Amino acid sequence: MQHIDLKAILQRTVSSTYGDLVTRPTGKAVRGGIEAELADGAGEQVAIIDFGTVRLLDYSCADEIVGKLLLAYGSARYFLLQGVTASHCEAIEPVLERHKLAAVAWDREGRVRMLGHVPEAAAEALSILTASTGDVPHVPEATAHELLTLLREQQLTANGGHSTSATG
Amino acid sequence: MTRVVDIPSHFDDRSFEQFATACGDISGDRLLFDAHATQWASPYGLVGLLAAGQWAAEHGPERPLLTVPSDRDIAHYWSRAGFFQHAQDWFELHGKVPRVANSHASDVLLGITPVRGSDDVHNVVESIQDRSAAILAELGLEATAAMGFAMALSEACQNIVEHAGTSGWVAVQAYNWRRRLGRRVVVIGVADAGIGFRRSLEATQSGRFGDRWNDATALEAALFHGASRFRDPGRGQGLGGIARYVNRWSGKLGVRSGRARIAIVPPWDDDEPLTDGLADFPGSQVLMIVPAQEAQ
Repeated sequence: MQHIDLKAILQRTVSSTYGDLVTRPTGKAVRGGIEAELADGAGEQVAIIDFGTVRLLDYSCADEIVGKLLLAYGSARYFLLQGVTASHCEAIEPVLERHKLAAVAWDREGRVRMLGHVPEAAAEALSILTASTGDVPHVPEATAHELLTLLREQQLTANGGHSTSATG
Repeated sequence: MTRVVDIPSHFDDRSFEQFATACGDISGDRLLFDAHATQWASPYGLVGLLAAGQWAAEHGPERPLLTVPSDRDIAHYWSRAGFFQHAQDWFELHGKVPRVANSHASDVLLGITPVRGSDDVHNVVESIQDRSAAILAELGLEATAAMGFAMALSEACQNIVEHAGTSGWVAVQAYNWRRRLGRRVVVIGVADAGIGFRRSLEATQSGRFGDRWNDATALEAALFHGASRFRDPGRGQGLGGIARYVNRWSGKLGVRSGRARIAIVPPWDDDEPLTDGLADFPGSQVLMIVPAQEAQ
């Protein structure tokens, strides 16, 4: 898995003093930084976009970073949005909805959630996959296969032990 | 010839139409903006006055005149809020301008700040987060709401950078609205003297509206349909995001441009959702009011 630290990219590409992901020019510059890192890690299938040290994300930056990144690379790579907060999700959700995209996010409390344009069956399948062992209901093998196929079609899971990621 | 424009005694979003009507054709005569009797001004009033001054200076026959409020406390407040520092660029000031140290008065969350580019938006967001956390907590707004406040402020400022074609100003102030609401509020004023929503959206949106295309339909398209002057489908989400934020926290959003004004009106306010046929005024002016949350 490839780990991409957004704040490090922000401070490298825009300003070493900024801690917030706001404005389109900033989002565009950060996306450029992400794309350069993705090119370096071309052999990797899953990229973790780490929001863990980012304070604020606005709609414009969410569109430039998450929306346009998934539109461009979502069919070729898997993405996990890690370390998101509730306010990050408020910026990301409408962007994904608008582009009819979906993403898997892992929040700072360790919860996995789906963001954006998520078909009901896919949301249900992911909740089963990510439920703690004791809560997992019995799922017939054929149904499990169908659910996993659905998630793969949505680019929300990957083969090979990588459990997650994003896009539509 | 010099024409006098009286600044309302209580200058805020409610009296702004009186001011806009008095301004009339800003590019005609030399204007004297008379604030000597002004008793109070909100962030919306102050940034709107700067926008009028910029327009008059750039399009009128001479730099406009501005008389300083004669009430010493009012003039001091305008100085603390940073008004005169920016006003001197556009007005010929008459009267004594109080000299004050840099303000850290607790209720001035963000003094009048110019918005010219992306760096200014970063600085506004940084500054407001540092200074507003305590007051927003006092308003009963949880941490998510405080971040949403900064996001909304960022998008409002970016509207200037992306659409005005010129610079603008933002200011944020906390008040105790005992009589009007019985609660504390945070008021944001954002204004520019740029091209306004109708002209900004004209190339991409006017065809859909035909003869109905005007300032009001442009505001509706921007606020309710996410219309943007850019063909990129990801654009045009900022105002919608601000609207969601104020709806969620029972706040108010008002956007004025040209001859129209559109508003998200909370239950505690009696403003009109859409008003057309107002006095023409340059650029765009945005008002956001976030009230203290009522105890559950």
